[in-house]
Formats: sequence, C-alpha cells, structure tokens
Amino acid sequence: MNDHRPEPAAPYDPTRRELLTRWGAPVLAGAALAGLGAGLAGRPGRHRPPAPDVTSVPPDWRVRPAEPGRVFIAGGEGPRANVARAVAAMGGMATFVQPGERVVIKPNCAWDRTAAQAANTDPEVVAELVRLCLEAGASAVVVADSSVHDPVRVFARSGIADAARTAGAAVAHPKNTGTVRLDLGGATLGTWEVLRPLVEADRVINAPVVKHHSLGRATLGMKNWFGALVGPRGGLHQRLNQVCAELGVAFRPTLTVIDATRVLTGGGPTGGSLALVRPDDLVAVATDPVAADAWGAGLLGLGPDELPYLAMASSRHLGTTDWQSVATTV
Amino acid sequence: MAVRARHLRIACQTLFLLAFAVLFLGLAVPRVPGEVASFLLSMDPLTTVATALADWTIPAWTWTGLAILAATAFLGRFFCGWVCPLGTLQQLVSWIAGPEKRKRNKVNRYRHWFSLKYLVLAGLLVWAALGANHAGWLDPIPLLHRAVASGLRPLWLGGVTPGGWVAFGLLAAILLLSAWMPRFYCRAVCPLGALLGLTGRLAPVRIRRTGEGDCTGCTLCVMACQGADEPLGEHRVSECHVCLNCLGACAERALVYGPPSAGTAVPAPALDVGRRRFLVTAVATAAMAPVLRATTGGEARAAGAIRPPGALDEPAFLARCVTCGACSASCPTNVIRADLGATGVEGLFTPVLDMRRGWCEPSCTRCSEVCPTRALRAVTAEAKQAIGGPAEVRIGTAFVDRSRCLPWAMAVPCIVCEEMCPTSPKAIRLEAATVLARDGRAVEVQQPVVDPELCTGCGLCENRCPVGEHAAIRVSSVGESRDPGNRMLAT
Repeated sequence: MNDHRPEPAAPYDPTRRELLTRWGAPVLAGAALAGLGAGLAGRPGRHRPPAPDVTSVPPDWRVRPAEPGRVFIAGGEGPRANVARAVAAMGGMATFVQPGERVVIKPNCAWDRTAAQAANTDPEVVAELVRLCLEAGASAVVVADSSVHDPVRVFARSGIADAARTAGAAVAHPKNTGTVRLDLGGATLGTWEVLRPLVEADRVINAPVVKHHSLGRATLGMKNWFGALVGPRGGLHQRLNQVCAELGVAFRPTLTVIDATRVLTGGGPTGGSLALVRPDDLVAVATDPVAADAWGAGLLGLGPDELPYLAMASSRHLGTTDWQSVATTV
Repeated sequence: MAVRARHLRIACQTLFLLAFAVLFLGLAVPRVPGEVASFLLSMDPLTTVATALADWTIPAWTWTGLAILAATAFLGRFFCGWVCPLGTLQQLVSWIAGPEKRKRNKVNRYRHWFSLKYLVLAGLLVWAALGANHAGWLDPIPLLHRAVASGLRPLWLGGVTPGGWVAFGLLAAILLLSAWMPRFYCRAVCPLGALLGLTGRLAPVRIRRTGEGDCTGCTLCVMACQGADEPLGEHRVSECHVCLNCLGACAERALVYGPPSAGTAVPAPALDVGRRRFLVTAVATAAMAPVLRATTGGEARAAGAIRPPGALDEPAFLARCVTCGACSASCPTNVIRADLGATGVEGLFTPVLDMRRGWCEPSCTRCSEVCPTRALRAVTAEAKQAIGGPAEVRIGTAFVDRSRCLPWAMAVPCIVCEEMCPTSPKAIRLEAATVLARDGRAVEVQQPVVDPELCTGCGLCENRCPVGEHAAIRVSSVGESRDPGNRMLAT
C-alpha cells in the first residue's frame, strides 16, 4: 500500500455552462492579447525624443512692429530715475503693457556676483521695470533667467531676487519653473528647452547689462537670450555671432532695456574685480534691439562693425546698426 | 497514443534546438533575413511583455510572443516543454547525468520555493514598468543566446571578456543544477516560465484523470514529471510543462491531456505565492529601480561606452535592449561585446564596442538587422559611411593621443590610422612636420589630425594602431549621433 493514492474523483460530465466558462477565459485572454498587440505593435516607443511642443518660434512680443524702432537714453540720476525717464520718453509703459497682460522681464542674471561687480543687470533697473509694468496694469510680472551658476545663489547674490519680489514680481529660474521645447529655427540654433514663463508671457522686456565678453567682445541684448535657453549651451559658442543673430530672430522683445549703470570693461562676462567696473549711470530703452546693442557696444569702445552679429541681425531686418539715427538722449 | 505524444514532443524539442543552433549561426550570415535569424528571440513572450511595459511598444516581430502567450492560455506551458531550447538542454543534461531512478520520486516533488520564479517575474516586470528593462538577464531565450554569443563564440574569434564569462557561467550553472534536479531553473527561477505558468492556469486543455478508481497512486507519473507539478492528485497546472511524460508513465493509462470533456475534473491548487509576498517584492524592486538607473548620468548618458550603430538614445535603448547578444553574434569583426561594469548596473550585458577586438565595418548593418526589439534601429550602409560628407549615423569620435602617437611623440614615421580611415574625404589628415629625434637629427614625419565632423567613430584606426595595448588613437562616444547631449560641435 502507499499513501499517494488520491481521492477518487467524481465522474465528470461538464454542463454547457461549465464548458463556456472553461473556454471563455482563454478566449478573452487571447482577445486581450490581440488588442494589446494591435495597439502597441510598431509604435515608436515612449522613450523616443519628444517632438517639439510648439513647432513655430516663440510669440512676437512687440507692440507696434510696423513702426520704426527708437532708442531713448537717460543718465545721471541713478538707475530708477534713468529707467523711468527713458520709458516715459518712449511714451510710457502703458503704451507697451495693457492691463491684465503677463509680463516677463529677462535681466542678465547669470553669475554669482554682487551688483557692484556689474556681471548682472542692476537690481534697481529690474525693480523699476517691475514697478512700471505693474503700474500699467500688468496682471503678473515675472523676472526670469536661466543662470549659469546655481540660479538660487545668483538671484540672491545679485540682489535681483530681493528687488523683484519687493517690487511685486515673481522670480523664475530652472530650479523653480519648467520649460517648453521650442523649435527656434535658424541654421545653428534648432530645438531648445525654453523657460516656460517666457513662452506664456504676453510681453517680454529684455534687460541686459553692458559687459565685456572674452569671446564676443561684448555681451548685450541678443547674447542675453542665451539665458532663455535651458540645457547645455556651451556648444553655441562655436558660432557665437551666428547664434546671437538667430536668437534675435527667434525672440522679438517688447522693449530692450540696456543697463549701463555700471559697465564691466574687462574680464567679462564674469568679471569680479571692482577695478574693471566703470560707473556710467546710463540706461537705454529701445524698440530697436539692434540699435540698442550698437549703442551698448559704443560704451565699450566698439563700433557696430566690430560685433559681426549686428550686421547679421540687421540683414535679417531686426533693426539698424546706425544707432545714432534712431537715438534720442533725454 | 501516449507514447506517440511523448515522441512527438521530443521531435519538436530536437527541431527547436536545431533551429536555435542554425538560426544562431544565421545571425552572422547576411543572406539570412535578420528577422528570421532572431525569430526565436522575437517569439519570446517575456521579451514582448517587458518591452511593452518599458517602452510602450511592441517592436518588429515581437508580437509573435503574444501569439505564444495566447496559445498558452489554451494549452498550458507547452513552450517550456516543447520549444524552449534552454529547457531542452537542461532535460538533456538530467537525462544523461540526472538523479538515478529511485531518487526521482523525491526530487520531482513540488517544493514551496519553486514559487520564487513568480517573485522574479514580478520584480522584473516592476522594473520594466519603471523603464528599466532587465527581463533579459534571466529570460532563458536571451540568456542562452547571450551565453553562446559572448561566452562561446569568442572562443574561436578571440577575446572572451568578463561579461562573456559571467553570461556563460550563468548558463553553465543552470545546466549543472539540472543534473542535481531536472529543470531546476524552469521550476524555481525562470521568469518566462512564471509568465507562461500564470497564463497557463486558464488553459482548458490540461492533464486530466480518465475516471474513477483508475489511479492506483503508484507515483510512476511523478517519477517521469519534468515540471514537478504532481499530476497525481491536485495537478499544479501552472507548473506543468506539458511534457506528457506522465501519460506514458501511467501503467493504468489513467491520465489524458485534453479539453474538459476528455476526463475527470482535477482541482488545481491556488498559486503558491501570497498577495503579501507579491506586494513586498513589487515595493522592494520599485525601490531598487532608481538605484539601478543612478549608475550613469550627466551629458554622456552611457559614459565610456560606444554603442552599435543604430542604437537608440540611451534611455530608449535601455528600455528595449534585452541583452540577448544577437548583435554581437552577428558582427563580422567581433567588435561587440557584452558589457560588465562600464555602463553601470543597468548596462549589465548590454552591447558595447571594443575597438581592439574589431571595428565597425562601414558597409555592414547586420547588428541593426537582427536586433529583435529594435533597440538598434534599422540603418543603411550609406548613412554610416561618410562618403562625400559627414555621416548621418556616427557612433563616436577618434582622438589622437599625442603623447603615445609615433610621429607626434617618438619622431617615428607612421601613417597607419590615416591610411585605414574609410571615410571620403578622410577624417584623418596628415600634417607634415620636422621633429628632432633623440640623437638630435631632424626627422620628417606626418602627424595625424582628426576631423571630428567627418569621423564616424568606426574604430578601424584604433584597431590597426601599431602602438600596442592602449592605442595612440582611440574612439570615445562623444559626437555619437544618437545622443544630442553627447556632442562637442555645434551643428
């Protein structure tokens, strides 16, 4: 005898219902698998590089694109008053910002440097622009940049975070805001992650500082758009002038405000030594980004022909390199 | 009748074992269509399921895995008993060197720890769902292909690497263990077996008893059983490999394999894994997933690794590569090896190019033809050749090591890398220079300089560089076309 003898099973005569249940389960499973196959077969897969969210270039933030661009230069009264006077000469901020619009101010806020070192846009200039936009009825003002050094430190050390928040603006950088993939066009530029607030803004004010730049000789408004891009930007320097012109085509600001409160005359774009900083106490407000940059280059002793991107931008109908013809000192 | 069924099974197993051998050799024969050569890999249901979970796609011919799975829902784990070449090899080993007859009754008993395979499956599928597709590490079909591709094939082509030894060691261990216990791997570890077992529980066609009182409880069926599924008494359908040995072994002819109407109902016990164990496994593997993925990073996502041409961008590549080694088995220059260490834990066994073993032949696209999951997308020879301008598909860039290069550092004339460079115009140009030899005499040499735009990273220069061991011109992955982040030149 052994212990393995199983219990006798009852004779089996399956009913129709039992048979249906028996066969139904695998039939359903087979159908589900066929559905899965039909749904997923040959798909590109979820890890393939995403197509750009928006295939066009960013929105054109200009107010009266048809009118010829102008530049107003103010100086001698400190950054806040200089900005206010130049904007007033341009027709006042209400001309450019309508009530309820979302405005982004894009300063040069790239380096872990204090305001006195002049590697970033002066915080007072930023604060005054925020104040003017809110006064004009902007529903929200965001001060945004994709800093080179750690953005939290940069926004704090530069004084721009405090100045912006005190004036009533929010601060946006890659550590606290998202990005949108944009096809920026151009022969070199292509597709980039762009700071989301910029893409969502109704109006954008480009507010660079005038600085020496070791590669481009000067960094001004068009180079400042590097800070709109998030990602490894290092490769763009191989064709710096080409890229600056292409950025000028991709980003069409409402206003370009060039901060020359302090001009970094050497060691740029990072600077550091106060001996390299020259207090010019000037601000230019422009609707012609090419003329604005040409004026800023002049402060560094550079003629328009010494910055090749200016001619490239001009040939793309972004403005004139002959800044004197459109500039007024107020 | 029953004897014939077993013979049929053995014939089928022999056929698929031969098919494995022939198709494996076919991987390296360009005349054999790539899809055919890798068909055994494509029809592996675990590859299909894991890839679908990891990359939300069922690439190329892997949909056939779903057909196998659907058939399993009707017939049970026939794949394990009739098709799987690793199962056949184990069966062969245990037939030749397995436990003697009187011990088989004991060794073929079901054991609780056989349920480990369900936890292995759960863990691998959780990883796959999180984008880390590592089913191929233990999936028998890729495991067998990989062991032969990276452990055996280099024996006659040269250069078995650590990855190859580990891959082959795994196969050797599985076969040795099957001498101790028939189909140990199938019973206790195999995640594919677990997937088919779960599906096979639905099967209406299964082992049944013919009628009341026929069974005498002699346990001859248990002695013959490959799956340890206890055809006697409560038959464990999820463990049964449908080898049909029990049918012939039964002296009373009391067992049949058939639909519900063919025999008496045999109650199948519940799966031997509690919900809690599944849950703990899922949570534990989910917690491990980020650790797996933390081993690479930065701008070059597979730092130090040159992937075959056509490789998808690293995250997509890792989501699809089942580490089967079909690419390395297909490579005419033997340049592709299974990685161990260079690409981190998540890159274990993934293909990388070792230019001292071979080079990426410009006119060859074989690896991208045979890849069953299209982790290597189809590329054309023209796209990787750089004839008349930069190539569309580049796997890296060569760099001259000027401190090792003969004309640069030793005042010794040499032009081998430039001579070898297959692009046109050549990505390596020679610049004439007059340098001083040790004795002060001036020597005219030609010093190689790489044009990074034209270089495809094929590695022929590195392969042929006369500076031994560590070549004086070496390819690194920077500039590879698959990863837009891993570049140095503005486009």
